[in-house]
Amino acid sequence: MFKNNLKIAFRSLFKHKRIAVINVAGLAIGIATCLVIMLFVQHELSYDRFNEKADRIVRVIFDSQVQGEKMNEETVMPPVAQALKSEFPEVEEATRMRYTGTQVIEKDGDLFRDFKVAYADANFFDVFTLPLLEGDAKTVLTQPNMAVISRTVAEKLYGKTDPIGQTISFKHWDKPFRIVGIMEDVPVTSHFDVDIFTSMASLPEAQNATWMQSNFYTYLVLRKNADYQQLETKLSGIIDKYMGPELKEGLGMSIADFRAQGNDLNMKLQPLTSIHLHTPAGMKTDLNPPGDVRYVYIFMAVAIFMLLIACINFMNLSTAGSSKRAKEVGIRKVLGSAKGELLRQFLLESMLMAFISLLLGVVLATFALPLFNQLADQKLSFNYLTEPWLLPSLLLFGVFTGLLAGSYPAFFMSAFQPKKVLKGQTTNGTGGIGLRNGLVVFQFCLSITLMVCTGVVWRQLNFIQHSKLGYDTDAVLIVPNAWALGENENAFRQAVQQDARVLSVSNSGYIPAGPSWDNNMFFATDLAPDQTIKTLRYDVDEQYIPTLGMKLAEGRNFSKENGADSSKVIINEAAAKAFDWQDGALGHSILTSFKKNDLRKQYEVIGVIQDFHFKSLHEQISPLVMTLRQTRGDIIMKVNMADAAGLLSTLEGNWKKMTAGEPFEYSFLDERVYNTYRTERRTGIVLGIFAGLTIFVACLGLLGLAIFTASQRTKEIGIRKVLGASVTGIVGLLSKDFLKLVVLSLVIASPVAYFLMDKWLQDFAYRIKVGWVVFVVVGLAAVVVATFTVSIQSIKAALANPVKSLRSE
Amino acid sequence: MIILKDIERYYSNGAQRTWVLRKINFTVKKGEFVTIMGPSGSGKSTLLNIIGMLDKPDSGEYFFLDEPVHNFNEKRRTELHKHTIGFVFQAYHLIDELNVYENIEMPLLYRGVSKSERQSMVADMLDRFNIVGKKDLFPSQLSGGQQQLVGIARAIVAKPKLLLADEPTGNLHTSQGEMTMDLLRTLHGEGMTVIQVTHNEKFAAYGTRVIQIEDGFVRSDSNV
Repeated sequence: MFKNNLKIAFRSLFKHKRIAVINVAGLAIGIATCLVIMLFVQHELSYDRFNEKADRIVRVIFDSQVQGEKMNEETVMPPVAQALKSEFPEVEEATRMRYTGTQVIEKDGDLFRDFKVAYADANFFDVFTLPLLEGDAKTVLTQPNMAVISRTVAEKLYGKTDPIGQTISFKHWDKPFRIVGIMEDVPVTSHFDVDIFTSMASLPEAQNATWMQSNFYTYLVLRKNADYQQLETKLSGIIDKYMGPELKEGLGMSIADFRAQGNDLNMKLQPLTSIHLHTPAGMKTDLNPPGDVRYVYIFMAVAIFMLLIACINFMNLSTAGSSKRAKEVGIRKVLGSAKGELLRQFLLESMLMAFISLLLGVVLATFALPLFNQLADQKLSFNYLTEPWLLPSLLLFGVFTGLLAGSYPAFFMSAFQPKKVLKGQTTNGTGGIGLRNGLVVFQFCLSITLMVCTGVVWRQLNFIQHSKLGYDTDAVLIVPNAWALGENENAFRQAVQQDARVLSVSNSGYIPAGPSWDNNMFFATDLAPDQTIKTLRYDVDEQYIPTLGMKLAEGRNFSKENGADSSKVIINEAAAKAFDWQDGALGHSILTSFKKNDLRKQYEVIGVIQDFHFKSLHEQISPLVMTLRQTRGDIIMKVNMADAAGLLSTLEGNWKKMTAGEPFEYSFLDERVYNTYRTERRTGIVLGIFAGLTIFVACLGLLGLAIFTASQRTKEIGIRKVLGASVTGIVGLLSKDFLKLVVLSLVIASPVAYFLMDKWLQDFAYRIKVGWVVFVVVGLAAVVVATFTVSIQSIKAALANPVKSLRSE
Repeated sequence: MIILKDIERYYSNGAQRTWVLRKINFTVKKGEFVTIMGPSGSGKSTLLNIIGMLDKPDSGEYFFLDEPVHNFNEKRRTELHKHTIGFVFQAYHLIDELNVYENIEMPLLYRGVSKSERQSMVADMLDRFNIVGKKDLFPSQLSGGQQQLVGIARAIVAKPKLLLADEPTGNLHTSQGEMTMDLLRTLHGEGMTVIQVTHNEKFAAYGTRVIQIEDGFVRSDSNV
């Protein structure tokens, strides 16, 4: 019986090739999309779960509110780990990591770059499941100047020789480290990515008892059944107890008073497994960039939509084409088939279709994955061998798709009554037409919603690209790490200034886009010395404002000649507003917040600079204060782009000479601005592709339905033509019904899309209005694409010779 | 074998009833060859469908081999009909996607006959109807007469107790029709109970008994 059913399934597939191709193509695209997205989602959800104690590990984060502004840090103070362990019995273990960023290793006179190095406490390997290939996890990090390197580092640096016992030296670090262990590479699904762990005992800062400086990633292992939320409520007590005295000394204010002013200093606990997806917005990280749970949800929704749209095609085409199968159902019933057997037969057919599509979909997904990786900045792979869950879940997925697509048609068709269908009484495919139309509307609603979302995302990106940032982004070259020049910094700068291709040079670590130093500072005005205001402080030189093309609203720039400018400030308009002098900012002064009078510095405002976007457009421009100060951050140059390549090679030559071989890095400001919105741009591209795919698959379905409609109405078309209908009239007749559905979908989808995108835009402090343009464009696009699809078939039907179509009856 | 008592069938049109069959009473004994005749729309096909258990009467009683079919649910009716009844249709109703051999095999599959048994039973049929050479052809490759031959082979391959034929010659030329009727007569001669519906007086004469139906009533019932 099974064999017979399979045979019928294959033969009917071949008999209706066009429909089969439409079905398989649609399903394969849907499945491929779904697979890629499921891989992505699975990857995102699996972060840090490789740790055996994953569900007991929490990270301590700093969570404060100072003058209405959130101050989140993912690191806390050095003594926190020890304090929490000794204060709370539910803390079984506490460990710290001090991340140092990427380091250069010197070995036998050669330099090796880009190793991520972190100091870790002795019990680090006890907390995190990072298996050691060599060395004893209990002891490797107990002594000063010990290092554990990853397998990849070992292979890169030592090849086949045994690294254990060798010393490793980092450039710019004073002491070498002895390699005592080799670990497996940290899994990609870890929120930190470290190549070399050095022992915390080597770091004097780690013993520092200060509660005013937070640099340490701190993790706790809680005892079984301990409730981290309960523990979290007790943390403010710890702040009061340990941080309070130090705060009083610094601010001259008790912590209770500080809190009474509406401020808060606190710590929170973050379960390890929610670090990747649920890290609060605005918390900067030096570790792996966190994911965004909203994008995980969006992608999951898209995956489900894609699959639904493809399955709906199958349902619609099956029921629309059911008149062709009706006779078979009738005969089978007469020959003794029970309804259940027919159900099974039709489900088998949809399973067959699903599995052919699955096969094709896997192939498609394999090819599409590198593209997706590139677009979404991921490193996903299909690995059937190392991921044992993949194959069975693929099979399950096939069965699920088959059931989803096949159940309704199977019930629909197996319910045909033989006495009717054998008389030819069926329903020329008109059975279930209401539901079919409903499903088409549903498909187009989904596609149109996605298209509108894509449109709005792109318009917002366009708005960002063309909005005035308040500084020049063109032809601004930035060379970072000026500190590497050491004594030669002035010589390098002079050489640059004399170069005709460089129009002006400034030196500052503060850059309004891309990686930048970050310095929060509290100032009070001369009129209200007790009221401090949080500002961002930029240390700049007198060339900074002209080099970046910023505009002064009033007052003057810093001047080199005037030696006294070191006690002057330039503030932005937002700061002028926040300090709220009634008679203008110029001439007033601001005070640093330290209470001890000898520490309190006074700065006179000499200029107000027009607001510029030093944060992304997600955030409001906040108060900013510029002071004149030498820094060794980045060298910023306004250059003539005509010979940029030549200039870069000259610079690199000088740099190499003056830094003894440090890597020369550079970036252009416009690129840095561009990169600020990478996530949004990526979302835009990926959404665009998915929107395109959904509309394509939905149109495939429409094409299939048009084929059926035309074939069912052959006779009607013949009669109309004999009676004098024109070809355009008939095309219109055949297309009209479908277009109505598309227009209806537009009406339904528009408010949904409006609501969604309005919410998305709330994330930007500076944003466009959703507007009606997108809806008009998307609506027109949908109608045009649908019309085109349907006309392919209806023109053919309309051109057919009526004599032929009528004779066949 | 068949006992029909006050069988009635109607369509409701609001408060109005359109009668298709009214007060049908007759019995068919094992081994009879009954012809049901009547004008178009007289209800003869509906009657055949009821006897074949494809349709249910709205009232009345129907005993088939002493089983009260009118009390059966769909599942039991299907079970009974698939083991006891073979059908032959005017439009042959072969499955287009299956070849001759597979079409004949179909009812055996539903009866759960084992593979080797199926092979020999289908081979018997092919032999008997002289269509061994055509067993791999599909219905579209056969003439009407040949298709009906396959249709009859399929109807009797599982050795039903009752053969129902709904205008089996309606779509055939005279010569092919005669051939088909000869075949039915032969089957009857071998002991099969046959009920056919036809318009054709000549072919009605192949049977042993003619029942005339008009406007849903039995008008006459006579032996040939």
